Amino acid sequence: MNKMTKKQRVLAALNRQPVDRPPVANPTSVATVEMMDLVDAPFPEACRSAELNARLAGTEITEFDFDAIAPYFSIIQESSAIGCEMQWEQKDNWPTVRMSNPIWKNASDVKIPSNFLDHPDVKVITDSIRILRNEFGNDVPIIGKTMGPWTLAYHVFGVEAFLLGTIDNPEETMDSLNKLLEITYLFGEAQIDAGADVLTVPDHATGDLVSAQYYQNFLQDIHTEMAEKFSVPIILHICGRTVDRMPFIADTGLNAFHFDSKNSPQEAMDAVNNKIALVGNINNPETLYSKDVDDVKKEVFDCLNAGVQIIAPECAIPLKTKSENLIAITEGITDWLAENEKKN
Amino acid sequence: MFEHEGLLKEFQWVTKESEKKHIGESIAKTSLAMQEISFALIQGDNESVDKLTKENLENGISANEILDNGLLNGMSIVGVKFRDNIIFVPEVLISARAMKAGMVHLEPILSASGIEPLGTVLMGTVKGDLHDIGKNLCIMMLRGAGFTVHDLGVDTSPEAFEDAFGEHGPDIIGMSALLTTTMPNMGRTIQHFEDVGLREEVRLMVGGAPVTQEFADEMGADAYGESAVDAVDKAKEQVALLKDLKS
Repeated sequence: MNKMTKKQRVLAALNRQPVDRPPVANPTSVATVEMMDLVDAPFPEACRSAELNARLAGTEITEFDFDAIAPYFSIIQESSAIGCEMQWEQKDNWPTVRMSNPIWKNASDVKIPSNFLDHPDVKVITDSIRILRNEFGNDVPIIGKTMGPWTLAYHVFGVEAFLLGTIDNPEETMDSLNKLLEITYLFGEAQIDAGADVLTVPDHATGDLVSAQYYQNFLQDIHTEMAEKFSVPIILHICGRTVDRMPFIADTGLNAFHFDSKNSPQEAMDAVNNKIALVGNINNPETLYSKDVDDVKKEVFDCLNAGVQIIAPECAIPLKTKSENLIAITEGITDWLAENEKKN
Repeated sequence: MFEHEGLLKEFQWVTKESEKKHIGESIAKTSLAMQEISFALIQGDNESVDKLTKENLENGISANEILDNGLLNGMSIVGVKFRDNIIFVPEVLISARAMKAGMVHLEPILSASGIEPLGTVLMGTVKGDLHDIGKNLCIMMLRGAGFTVHDLGVDTSPEAFEDAFGEHGPDIIGMSALLTTTMPNMGRTIQHFEDVGLREEVRLMVGGAPVTQEFADEMGADAYGESAVDAVDKAKEQVALLKDLKS
């Protein structure tokens, strides 16, 4: 097969088509403290200035030779824009929403500010996408990110109140999700207009919190609609144990699912039955953060042997992850290809 | 014996032999009134738990009996169902809300009784992590089991754990995290206790959805609580161990 550009490779993998080599791309984040120091773009400034954001995001290509750039590092930009109380933290900690001080109580409170897309914490991502497109050209895919309504609901209502509401008043929960979905679309479309080739939609209906039935009842239709409405490939991201809901996710028509190391690559591939591409699932806290290059490569081999289409860390990587372990992901793919060539 | 049919049905979810014996025997010795409380708690029926707790206290049943034979027996089954993925966090939350509805009546009586606590625990979600459901469930179970628990809230820095250690002199520090990105802060807190020379003074426990025994070992924790129920068992073991180590 002819050598593909990074963009051709990623888009083909997302559509479960043949590739010249399996791509590596983290649809969530590969920001690290080491890279912040290297390009002088530390957190939280790199989450709030488009120029610093683009500089840090670009290291995914320049330092690790991954196949895509994902400039939205955290999961809080749009929550900041709609008025959530924020904790921006410092270089070695993630910015986060103070969910213990929720801004809204029920669906009727959900109101999207008219100038949402002009808010600096939203604009930083769209402006950064434009900078990156300019800098890296058309052959490098840019993965934008827009939060799904379930994740937004945690931020605006608080996790506990929102989950209690799912039992006390499920109709109200659906109403809230449908209203919050407008934010998902607004921000997603703005990133596509700015040049994003792909969107990640984190929507944390994780098995650590809710059942597969919850996913089916509250989110499957919403994600199915998303697959139809967005004009670019969509990668759904849900942390934690999700294999029980993967058959439902696979039926949505979304292009890909970014899965956690709590699910083995093979059981995940079996669960989705070739209806959706898989992205994942190298363990973050134990392997990438704490172990060595050989351990990383072993997990790359496990993913490739199972047929996972895009190799990636399971989620946004810990900020103090060593660069050599990230480089080992790409090296692991090269080693796997060489081993397979020998066998054939 | 099981006099409450609904509770008997709920008990069918308990399948491990050791748990069947332990929880089964504990329920079998209780009255129908206590079994009604257990069942209402499992159903997350806070109004019934509130009403039944008040009624039983008025009928002369002791706060301790209502806690042990009513609320905690119910919570044991909730814990098993949660661990075995029969139910998930929303269902646990409504049971926890029901437990709180009962505890409102029991706590003033229990604290006035002057019973010696099993031990003292500091609990906090680690630095950078603002999630508290798991931590709060653990606190509820630990308090129910007889521990004194000081809740440090979320986003707890190593220094805040150290300060609270100085203030409360706990037997155990429990650290919680929901995010893989914040889990390493458990290791940093443990290292901080090493650095300030307090590591041997206290037992350090970790838990949270993404945390595993392997990770706990790598970070140098003394124990890992897989669930809120498991955390109580581990806390009891760690308190005993600390006493041995200090004696």
